[in-house]
Amino acid sequence: MRARLLKFAGAIAALAVATWAVAQEGHPLKGSWIGVWDSNETHGDNVVVILDWNGEEITGMINPGTQNIEIDEASLDPETWTVRIEADAQTDDGDTISYVIEGVIEELELPSRSIIGTWRSDNGRGVFDIRRQ
Amino acid sequence: MTRRNIAILAAAALTGPVAAHHSILGKFDDAAALTLRGTVTHIDWRNPHAHIFMNVETSGTTLNWAIEIESPIELALSGWSDQTLLPGDAIVVDGWRARDGSRQAWGAEVVRADNGRRVYQLKDTAPPVPLAARPAPRWPDGSVALGAAPGTSGGYWRYPSMTSLVEDGVEVEISRAGLLADLDEADEVAPLQPWALALFRNRQSRHLRDDPLFLNCKPPGGPRQYQSNLGFQLIEDKASERVFVLLGSGNHNYRIIYLDGRDRVGQVTGDDDNPLYYGRSTGEWEGDTLVANTRSFNEDFWFTSSGLPHTNRLQLTERFTRTDLDTLEYQVTVDDPGAYTRPWTATWTLRWVGGRELPSHFCQNNRP
Repeated sequence: MRARLLKFAGAIAALAVATWAVAQEGHPLKGSWIGVWDSNETHGDNVVVILDWNGEEITGMINPGTQNIEIDEASLDPETWTVRIEADAQTDDGDTISYVIEGVIEELELPSRSIIGTWRSDNGRGVFDIRRQ
Repeated sequence: MTRRNIAILAAAALTGPVAAHHSILGKFDDAAALTLRGTVTHIDWRNPHAHIFMNVETSGTTLNWAIEIESPIELALSGWSDQTLLPGDAIVVDGWRARDGSRQAWGAEVVRADNGRRVYQLKDTAPPVPLAARPAPRWPDGSVALGAAPGTSGGYWRYPSMTSLVEDGVEVEISRAGLLADLDEADEVAPLQPWALALFRNRQSRHLRDDPLFLNCKPPGGPRQYQSNLGFQLIEDKASERVFVLLGSGNHNYRIIYLDGRDRVGQVTGDDDNPLYYGRSTGEWEGDTLVANTRSFNEDFWFTSSGLPHTNRLQLTERFTRTDLDTLEYQVTVDDPGAYTRPWTATWTLRWVGGRELPSHFCQNNRP
């Protein structure tokens, strides 16, 4: 089951590379993002992040429809365009691990802007690189 | 009229009728002046800006340059055409080099080499200001006519006193294209949330080159439609209780303000899941002022030339008041808790262009 999900996520990521991002001239984090959290042995290398802005806080989910990791807290420092995301997730064994993702928005002016940085959890750490779709 | 508006008008008068529909500084560097001498090879007479292609001899090599000039509509209103210059004509161009280093230049001044006459310069096409205000025309029922007077031929509104959005009472120096003279004044333009201020500053620092109206032919939604350089027409359909707003700029778009008391959602094109460039509008008359309320905007465009951000929580309250035959006062209150810390208001006037047809502009074939 998990291998099938990874293939599905990979296919989405491949498709995303070949498509244009939907325009977004409002809050720069709002939208769907696809990419990798490299070397994540717990939840796989591929990642989908949905982010929204309600005027007061950034909300969203990691890997919706598959792992459904609710974002507990997210922030954006507009001085440096640094993004920080915190989320608790369940492992296959039922344990809870805490993720912290930190990255910087690159190519802010493009609808297909990206967030590049790192992720870390109780089980590891690695490069985090997602691009807006 | 605020002191700021007066300053803008004065600045416009000093700079002459330059009407580029967007900031040409995004593409061209005004600090990199150049002079080109050569012969015309082709005139490309297309929106948004016309181009002169010319051969220039440089150290024994012939290179072809693209010279960008004003829009064909503006040029035609000033009496120029695609036949003003013909292939083989010798010209001298003074302008600004493209920032990307390509063989493109903004043609600030184009002169025929044979007789020294300047061509493709814009003339002031605004109608003269009457010595005394003339009363606003009215319908037989006594209500003010927002468009042509009953029984008269066409006309439209143009020549806004402000060409970018700035909160009433704020004094900042800003160009006709929306560029701040001092980026440190960005936080004064409107009560921006921190992220929106940072994004606004980013767009300004990039000379507005990312404007989706220019890059992707996105419509000038929201208040921007009343600051566009080609104007708009208001047509009142009394029988069906609606006002049509026809735009000269953008892609000759239109929007409808419904006055029949309907609810905004589900009654016009789109719904809550399909937000629009011009939103959904209902309106009502308060005395001689048409008050329109608009919401359900998408986030795919800039609602002002200067790049102030907005979100899909944007709601506009627009007040249209024809204070006399030649003057329309437009006031907009921006309520967007997604991007601003409080509602804020901007006001400007437009001039009546009587007896003329609304220009018909379609965005096409941009050369970024």
